Amino acid sequence: MIGSVGNSLRSPRVLIALGMVGAVAFCAIFCGVLAPHDPADQNLLSILTPPAWASGSDPQYLLGTDSLGRDVLSRLLYGARTAMIVALIASLGAMVIGSILAHIAGYFGGIVDWLIGRLVDVWMSFPPVILSLILMVGLGIGLDRVILAIVLVDWTRFCRVLRSEVLVVTRNDYVAAARLLGFTHWQTIVREVLPATLPLLITLLSLEMAIAVVVEAILSFVGLGVGPDQAAWGQMIADARQNVYQSPWNLLLPIFAIFFTVAAFNLLGDGLRRTLDARLAETGH
Amino acid sequence: MLATVAKLIARRLLAAIPILLIVSALLFCVLRLLPVDPAAMSLPPTATIVQIEAKRQEMGLDKPLAQQYLIWLHDALHGDFGRSIVFGREAGSLVASTLPATIELAAAAMIIAAGLGLGGGLLLFSLRDTWFESVADLGSILLLSIPEFLWGLILLFVFGVVLNALPFTGEVSPNLPQPHITGFILIDALLIGRLDVFWSACQHLILPAFALGLAFSPAIMRVLRSSLFDVYHEDYIQQARLRGLSERQILLRHALKNAALPTLTLAGVQFGILFSGTLLVELIYSYPGMGNLMIDAVRNADLPLIQAIGLTYCIVVLSINTIVDSLYLVLNPKLRVR
Amino acid sequence: MDYAARSMRGLRKPDIDTVLTLQARELTITARLGGTFVPVINALSFDLAPGKILGLVGESGAGKTMIGRGLAQLLPRGFSITGGSLRFDGEDLVAMAPARRRALLGRSIAFIPQAPMTALNPVRTIGAQFDEHLARLGQRSPKERREHALAMLAAARLPRGDDLLAQYPHQLSGGMCQRVLIASAFASHPRLVIADEPTTALDVTMHAPILQLIADMQRKHGTAVIFITHDLRLAAQLCDEVIVMYAGRALESGPARTVLSKPAHPYTRCLQLANPSLSAGRRVLHVMPEQMPSLRQLQDMTGCRFTPRCPLATSECRRIEPPNAEIGPGHFAACLHVSGAAGIDPAKTTSGPPPSAGRRVLEVQSLSKIYRMSRGLLGGRATVTAVEDASFAICENEFVALVGESGSGKSTVAKLLVGLEQPTRGRIVFNGEDMTDPALRERARQAGSLQMVFQDPQSALNPRRRVARIVTQAMEAGSRHATWEERRERAAALLAEVGLAGDFDGRLPGQLSGGQRQRINIARALCHLPKLLIADEIVSGLDVSIQAQILNLLARLRDELGVAMLFISHDLSVVRHLCSRVLVMYRGEIVEQGPIDDVFANPQHPHTQALLSSVPPDEPAETWPLLQANRSLNQGRDTVQPWLKKS
Repeated sequence: MIGSVGNSLRSPRVLIALGMVGAVAFCAIFCGVLAPHDPADQNLLSILTPPAWASGSDPQYLLGTDSLGRDVLSRLLYGARTAMIVALIASLGAMVIGSILAHIAGYFGGIVDWLIGRLVDVWMSFPPVILSLILMVGLGIGLDRVILAIVLVDWTRFCRVLRSEVLVVTRNDYVAAARLLGFTHWQTIVREVLPATLPLLITLLSLEMAIAVVVEAILSFVGLGVGPDQAAWGQMIADARQNVYQSPWNLLLPIFAIFFTVAAFNLLGDGLRRTLDARLAETGH
Repeated sequence: MLATVAKLIARRLLAAIPILLIVSALLFCVLRLLPVDPAAMSLPPTATIVQIEAKRQEMGLDKPLAQQYLIWLHDALHGDFGRSIVFGREAGSLVASTLPATIELAAAAMIIAAGLGLGGGLLLFSLRDTWFESVADLGSILLLSIPEFLWGLILLFVFGVVLNALPFTGEVSPNLPQPHITGFILIDALLIGRLDVFWSACQHLILPAFALGLAFSPAIMRVLRSSLFDVYHEDYIQQARLRGLSERQILLRHALKNAALPTLTLAGVQFGILFSGTLLVELIYSYPGMGNLMIDAVRNADLPLIQAIGLTYCIVVLSINTIVDSLYLVLNPKLRVR
Repeated sequence: MDYAARSMRGLRKPDIDTVLTLQARELTITARLGGTFVPVINALSFDLAPGKILGLVGESGAGKTMIGRGLAQLLPRGFSITGGSLRFDGEDLVAMAPARRRALLGRSIAFIPQAPMTALNPVRTIGAQFDEHLARLGQRSPKERREHALAMLAAARLPRGDDLLAQYPHQLSGGMCQRVLIASAFASHPRLVIADEPTTALDVTMHAPILQLIADMQRKHGTAVIFITHDLRLAAQLCDEVIVMYAGRALESGPARTVLSKPAHPYTRCLQLANPSLSAGRRVLHVMPEQMPSLRQLQDMTGCRFTPRCPLATSECRRIEPPNAEIGPGHFAACLHVSGAAGIDPAKTTSGPPPSAGRRVLEVQSLSKIYRMSRGLLGGRATVTAVEDASFAICENEFVALVGESGSGKSTVAKLLVGLEQPTRGRIVFNGEDMTDPALRERARQAGSLQMVFQDPQSALNPRRRVARIVTQAMEAGSRHATWEERRERAAALLAEVGLAGDFDGRLPGQLSGGQRQRINIARALCHLPKLLIADEIVSGLDVSIQAQILNLLARLRDELGVAMLFISHDLSVVRHLCSRVLVMYRGEIVEQGPIDDVFANPQHPHTQALLSSVPPDEPAETWPLLQANRSLNQGRDTVQPWLKKS
């Protein structure tokens, strides 16, 4: 494991992705210092000012203002905070639930596996967008609700993929050997199975963060996200859509922010998959 | 052969029924637990408490949850999904009038996604061991990072706003007649013999369908490529080479069909997600489908309508899964013969 | 001086008119390792005349398979032919245009693969794959193709060809798949067939029929065959000539029976002495130290490559590469000490494993295991009886063999004994305690007195644990908390016990060779000094020289630690060498048991008889009844399809 982490850190793909994630995380952590304005401050005297490189720009607003005269740069920075909080907590939550169930199902098999499998089937027959919308109707808007909704929707992703990996690992004789040497089930799962599934787990975590960023943006875009008092990229897009002819940059900037963040997590996931997974490293693709 | 396949499909359908029942029950419970009173919402704001109470009894809301569900299930099986609070119409008929447009959009998008996925997958695979491989791979990851709603906005901005090349609101131009026969606008336009309507509908379909298709193709591409990689490590590929088959024959006759199996499994899951992705695209392009109806229902907490639409989405997803599973069985002889 | 070339010319009768089917001259295949090139086939020369069978014999890593791959120029990445020529019917395959070579493949040169089950495309029917092959050969009419396919299947002794054509590979047994592939290989009347270990993946009783089929087909079509194998006894029976390969070099070559009855090279001799015998008196197996050099080790090796393992090696061997010298008519060996080979290891005989008179360690009564298979929602249930009514006992310090074909229920018995599966019926009494009680079983497990050694060390060793942590894994089980010092000490003792002294404790399984891994696998089971070991096919994946090392290790463990063992295997020679009693299993039942010499001398059950006759005789001069019986049967039935003559 330690060897493969070192392996990962030598891969240019992983390093670039880590740099990109780091940049977004930096904005998220230090947005209070970096942002020139309060993201909620409205300046109705200068609405829809274009960004600095366009004519008629206001030097006070580097990336212009939106239809309520709020500073776009500040809102982008605070939006990064929202996105990163959601990505981190929601994907960790989904990972914990999903991977615990996956290990139980894959290791013990039989009726337990069957029950968990059917639960996943039922869950997966709700399309994720629809399920999260319905959950948001029930839970109400807010940052914590968005996180909870994503956890409730996306644990199945972990469970489904990891379960089959656990099955493959459990079929190895060394898992049976551990039992014969006197290991308890708990010891066997933690010391023999989990280390083998960990690379996949970490990869999935990274990919799930990308998905969580998208889902948060979608919910905010529809108006069932973190709520109007918090800046979110999805909200910015929804606002900018009304004035797409006057100020296209207001639309394009948050789109790029989402793309950049999602691409960073996807690249990281792919790089980790290649370098952490011994089987892939062996076959060379 | 046909009989065994039919039997397998029947078996899959039977297996889908309990799942559907559990799904509908879950949906029912979640929505009943909301802090919204359907009785109060279905009456004008001036209604008295007594009136609301009477309505609650009329709607059966005072009964236990399980009984309420059974009543709802009984009604639903008879085609009655309740009355929409916002629109004041039968929820079932609202869904029926918007579903065809959504199916049309999703089908067009699936064709685009499958086509791009197949072509892109073969392209990615053919670039293996070349200098372009990592570039193409990186490109596919970047493509993977643009979800359908971003594609919707980007295409709308580029082709609608900047280039002004294609229409981006509604299903046909507002100055043309909007036929309602089957509900499928492309079919209806042909039925009434109006090629101009058909052409306009096609133009309106292009951007939303591509937004969806583009978003879902990279996943198919990447799975097809990695499945092909796996298949090429198999003994029978080596044996085919030793029999003197050309690389082209090996790819088309031996590798592709085997690689199609894992790809199909993923495509099935993707198409299910794609179908619900129509919701965002419809919202962006004001496309008169079930997605926009869902947004209206959700924003107004219109419970009967949310329930009907949610269930419809689930039914469609389950059907797609069943079809894909059956296709998998048809393609995989190991599972077919038992 | 081109010794090898000269030598091989001498192999055949000096018949000038015969056009050779294949003629290799100084063939060299190299692998790129980092920046340098290492020869994996070193200046190999041989002649192959039409209708002859040439055996390439050697352990894994000798380069046998590379020759077959090199013929088709389908070498693994990083490998390439860097010198010499390979003339097929007078044309050089090495210099040939790829399109021309591809046209020959499947038509004039055909391959019979090692793993028949995976060599057929799983999603296409046998008929479709056969038809594709015949269509490529140029047969236009579908009806003719079908008839030809049916004729070939019938010639391969596959009944009901019509049904077979509509079936998929997974519906056939391994033996049937191999017959289909043989039928397909000979369908084009090839001039040359390369059979790469065609029976290794099949059950023992299938070996002789498949070899018989290849021999018949070869004779019928007048085909030259390159037969690649690790089995000296098999090569002696089947081949006209053999080349013994080691680390990419031909060490010895000549007429098969001469080479194998009077080996001149120490390696050939050692290999024979390392192989336990089924009929002759028991002797101590000759052990070659270490293992065949890896590519990396070959890089900086000079002189004879066998030197580090050779009992006759002198300092001279390290310096010069011995020339290929003719030592008898057509018999060549590349060694400086050919005269000494016969004197190696004057075959010490032993009395064989001692019969045990000790206390019973394990007693099994009427053990049965029935699996219930659910066949989905509407499919109902089916049952499969894996083990039926098995009763036997094992005494202290006794090695008992359990033999049978794959699927006979051997592995299920092992799993039932150690508690990885629950018996449906019957009793397992271990050390006086009834193990069917889960609590008692758990206690025995904690005590480590019943252990299992798994078949495949690759899968049985956690690739993320270091060797010291693997062999002492039992010390971290349950609530036990051994200190790291205790574990290190125990690990060192265990590693010494299995002959792995040195700095092995810090390595990962991936850094070990197959034989070393199997030693670790055994050491782990020994951690708490078990009374009984269950060993499931633990030497079947190993080369003969490594197998001898492990067998000797097991015998030593019996003598030193007094451990008893249930030794599951399909290899009767190995079993006879190691065990004192045998249980023969067939379709889930124990059909015969008793002292091993009695059972093997006078087998009662037809299956035991079949198993025993499936082993080729030790002496190359003896005939193997199974292979010879029908050899004359198919002669004179040679029919050549007219359409094939054209191409």
